[in-house]
Amino acid sequence: MGCLGLSLVISGPMRVPLYRTCHTEHIRNPVNLLQTSSLDVRAVTVDFQGLRAIDDVSLRLHGGEILGLIGPNGAGKTTLINVLTGFQEPTRGSVHLGGEDIGAWKPHQRSRRGLVRTFQSVLPFAGLSALENVEASGLSIGLSRAEARADAERILMEMGLGDKLHRAAGTLPFGEERRVGIARAIAMRPRFLLMDEPAAGLNDAECRDLKQIVEGISQSLGCGVLFIEHRMSLVFELCRRIQVLQLGRTLAVGTPDEIRADPKVRTAYLGQEAA
Amino acid sequence: MLANPALRPLQTAAILILVLLGVALMAALAPPAMQRTVVEAMIKLTVVVGLFVFVGNSGVFSFGHVAFMAVGGYMSAVLTLAPARKETLLDLPGFLEALQLPWPVAMIVVVPAVGLIALAVGWPICRLRGIALPMATFAILIITFVVASNWKEVTGGRQALVGLPRYTGLWVAFGGAALAILAAAIYGVTRHSLLLRCSRENEVAAAATGIDVERERLIAFVISAMIVAAGGVLFSHFIGTITANTFYLDLTFVTLTMLVAGGMRSLTGAFVGVALVSIVSELFRTVERGFSVGNVTIAAPPGLQEIALAAILLAILILRPSGLLGDHEVAFTSSSSGSSPAKPEG
Repeated sequence: MGCLGLSLVISGPMRVPLYRTCHTEHIRNPVNLLQTSSLDVRAVTVDFQGLRAIDDVSLRLHGGEILGLIGPNGAGKTTLINVLTGFQEPTRGSVHLGGEDIGAWKPHQRSRRGLVRTFQSVLPFAGLSALENVEASGLSIGLSRAEARADAERILMEMGLGDKLHRAAGTLPFGEERRVGIARAIAMRPRFLLMDEPAAGLNDAECRDLKQIVEGISQSLGCGVLFIEHRMSLVFELCRRIQVLQLGRTLAVGTPDEIRADPKVRTAYLGQEAA
Repeated sequence: MLANPALRPLQTAAILILVLLGVALMAALAPPAMQRTVVEAMIKLTVVVGLFVFVGNSGVFSFGHVAFMAVGGYMSAVLTLAPARKETLLDLPGFLEALQLPWPVAMIVVVPAVGLIALAVGWPICRLRGIALPMATFAILIITFVVASNWKEVTGGRQALVGLPRYTGLWVAFGGAALAILAAAIYGVTRHSLLLRCSRENEVAAAATGIDVERERLIAFVISAMIVAAGGVLFSHFIGTITANTFYLDLTFVTLTMLVAGGMRSLTGAFVGVALVSIVSELFRTVERGFSVGNVTIAAPPGLQEIALAAILLAILILRPSGLLGDHEVAFTSSSSGSSPAKPEG
């Protein structure tokens, strides 16, 4: 699989200075870059017509960190990502990027400022080519057409999709479609990347490649990653810190070893898997 | 340079304009009745191409663009009618009554003016989501119709505005359609077109990709309205007489049928749709008028043309919902991406 190229590039210093031509404010302005080095969720509650999906959840993600967010279905993980990215307004609480309350920012403004997400079901721009899917990210952060296209080509080639540049994204196999989704996020130059079950539907080999990609994004881009996943082996390998949600509340926060050993987490979610 | 897939819309435009030139040259040798049919089709092509810029790229249906035809047509009428005729038909302020501009100047004034109106109208409605946006465009059509029907001082109300200079001949219509195609192609190579097409594919993913969907829709809406307004100006000066009914449901239905029949996601589709619907309309119009076979005259009941168009629209919607061409474009070089239905998520 084509992740070899990407891992070579992103495991060392970036061969291509991805930030060189970027026009986003958080990248042009180094002060802002420092200021956006943490993403804070402060006591967020979300109610859906009487149903409490998230109940007083707080979370902090630092630049360069990979934070696992786990929990059973219905725990509120995706809702929390929706709150962070502006697709869901919280009933109470706030979200802060580099100390600034971003509650009034629209979703596109948050992603342009480096708060980028991927979707559980990828949501590719199905009728557009893989190249156009990724090029759009570069354009939306202010690159010229030529710069955005060149970057998109480079990222897709590094993702092993060099021979699929002009294929409609909706016709790609699921694993490749998912890589297009990740490439789209990388092309946004994320400061914080929120990945919603990126390993869903992938086989073991693809999961290994995904692990390399996520590590590479975190190390080379200095990007904080919020990693939602049900495949525990992947979460325990990738994350130094894990937060567990259950029924919309934070059940535990800790290192992988602490989470594995936590009896509440074992009972509520991990079961025998942690043993 | 044109091998660059991003510049493919310009290839498409070049081919379509060449084909259109061929049609115009043939029409120049045809009888006047046939020539009028071709001119009318070319004007409708201008309108449908304008409609395509918004509908094709955004995926949002608009039932209201014919309103911009009306505004363009009436504005041009006011600017080009002879002062004596305006005195008889309208009740305009003195300076407008005295003003009579040459048609190219009127066109240059009208198109940007309609662009400004579209900006003001589009600003709130492009923020709407789901079915609310197409419904809002329909509301624009109704409001424009009601205003045009009742604003006697400016539009003549329900009375026809007659005596417009009839300058839209074959080559003016060709020029209008060619410029519309070129404008749509130039928009197609801009970043705005790609970003809007992303929102067409998935609005949520587009916002998550940093795309300001409302802004991109508004840009396309304004450009689209300006092209449609140019079509309205040409149409008014082709028929020489306009009423509020000229720019209402019939024309909305015909232009949308043209766009959907050919494939609303493709400039070539817009072209093919106009050609198909124009030919079918002309055929059934001939049948309605009646024709003789030996001693027998066969004439179909009036309205057959509309029924035939509706049947074609239904057949295409059922059998080929993406239109005859889907999102395929004619080009010198082949595209490997092509049209592709989205596969089910999972």
